[in-house]
Amino acid sequence: MKVFFHINLIFLVSILSSNTFAQNQIVADLSQENVKISTDFQGAKILLFGAYDGKKGDDIIVIVTGPKGLVTVQKKEKILGVWVNTRKVNYINTPKYLSISSNRRIDDILNKKTQKISEIGLNNLKIRIQPGIKVEKEGNWRQALTRNMLKSNLWSINENSVTLNKDSLFRSYLKLPSNVITGQFEVKILHYRNSKLVSQQVNSINVSKSGISAEIYDIAQNYSTLYGIFAVLLAVLVGWGSNLIFRKV
Amino acid sequence: MYYHNLRNNIENFMYIYLPIAEQPIHSLAILGIGAFLGLIMGLVGVGGGFLLTPLMMFLGIPPPVAVASVANQLVAPSVSGVLSHWKRSNVDFKMGTVLLLGGVVGSSIGVILFNFLGKIGQLDFVIKSSYVIFLTLIGTLMFSESLRLILRSRKGKITRGKLHQHNWLHGLPFKIRFRKSKLYISILLPILIGVIVGILAALMGIGGGFIIVPAMIYLLGMPTSLVVGTSLFQIIFVAANTTILQASQNQTVDIVLATILLLGSVIGVQLGSRFTNILRGEYLRLILSSIIILVSLKLLIDLVTVPSDLFSVIISR
Repeated sequence: MKVFFHINLIFLVSILSSNTFAQNQIVADLSQENVKISTDFQGAKILLFGAYDGKKGDDIIVIVTGPKGLVTVQKKEKILGVWVNTRKVNYINTPKYLSISSNRRIDDILNKKTQKISEIGLNNLKIRIQPGIKVEKEGNWRQALTRNMLKSNLWSINENSVTLNKDSLFRSYLKLPSNVITGQFEVKILHYRNSKLVSQQVNSINVSKSGISAEIYDIAQNYSTLYGIFAVLLAVLVGWGSNLIFRKV
Repeated sequence: MYYHNLRNNIENFMYIYLPIAEQPIHSLAILGIGAFLGLIMGLVGVGGGFLLTPLMMFLGIPPPVAVASVANQLVAPSVSGVLSHWKRSNVDFKMGTVLLLGGVVGSSIGVILFNFLGKIGQLDFVIKSSYVIFLTLIGTLMFSESLRLILRSRKGKITRGKLHQHNWLHGLPFKIRFRKSKLYISILLPILIGVIVGILAALMGIGGGFIIVPAMIYLLGMPTSLVVGTSLFQIIFVAANTTILQASQNQTVDIVLATILLLGSVIGVQLGSRFTNILRGEYLRLILSSIIILVSLKLLIDLVTVPSDLFSVIISR
């Protein structure tokens, strides 16, 4: 991996030094484009690296967005002395993974208005409540969504995590937690100069289950009854087998 | 550096990714928990599921997966336990069959109920509060009963009364003779017990031993020596039925989690059933009832104290 990375860097630098590298361009690559969730999966750390046509003071923001879908926020209330989930709000079109990385504080790179327009920042996401649901104090629910997603490490803000080198190279580590959802992840690299977008590049990461883990999951989904019967038979066999072994001891 | 890598590799190896729960878990911890609970199960005939399910939830396994996978693993120690009790002729198969007929019906109802509660978002609450109610009830009953027995035998006055008390339950129709248990009772009673235990078993991820054992002793009046083997016998079928239904209805059985747990528990249950004739029953039950009361207290505290965050998030897959 490391050798591969160095070769790429040399390649990138050579592109940069020759004049073929077009102005205001950005190129990026990932150390891993396919993340396989197998039985030893504990999360993944992916190196994102690349080159950009930069000037002193330029900034890089990297936004990784996972599959989007339904996320439900529940609220507990005290009923007869016990805390029970009483209300819920469904958010649709919600990214189930989101990480925003930058070379310095995002507030120093972009003003609040630009952040809002470019949908950068956890509060600027265009997430909608499922139509037909009436909510009081929507802000509390939205805050709860953000707070819980951050707590589960599925959402993250990583300021100062993009390393810039000689205004031409950048690198950053993207961390996918072990509870990550499978699917297509979009990696968007944004290059800013004086708060203006100069260039951007989009890469993607595919997260999928693989090996025994994937096969078990598939069988459990597609041949569920058979899977259940097999699970029981396996347990019976182990129970019976252990009895045979222990009898002889 | 090399040492560090080696250590890392070993640590990585210890973690195993659960395909259905969709998260990694420390395999040795799971194996150890399985063994400990197997030991309790072998000793007392109860206590596999009711401690295992809360422990799995404490480790962060989603409750639906914990409940269904624990039901799956319970099959193994039950089979193994029944075989060794059978050798010592401690199983009443006739009573077991009647109980399991009710149990299969009950656990089917339970899985349907489980599915429904999940849909309306009250599954966690129902699982936890059922635990509080039943553990408190059974724990207190068992504790006072075994304490009474111990105190009585310390005084040296071992009074043997009737085999069991007769009450209105013995006046029900459809009476059947259970030779092994020396009982002549209505078939409705064990069937009803089976149904209730089956529902709770499916809903709470237990074999139902901790409910059915006291029920067999106090409601049916079965001899204590037969209770463990017979309850294990019926648990096999209730757990098997629950597993198959949970797998086909809800796809929540994690076979990897269940397999690690059951490997631990079959070892434990074997060791446990070896000591069952050495350790005295009332002392065992006193210890177990203390654990039961502690677990129910812990769950009750969780339900009553103000949550650190009133809001929680469910991410649909």
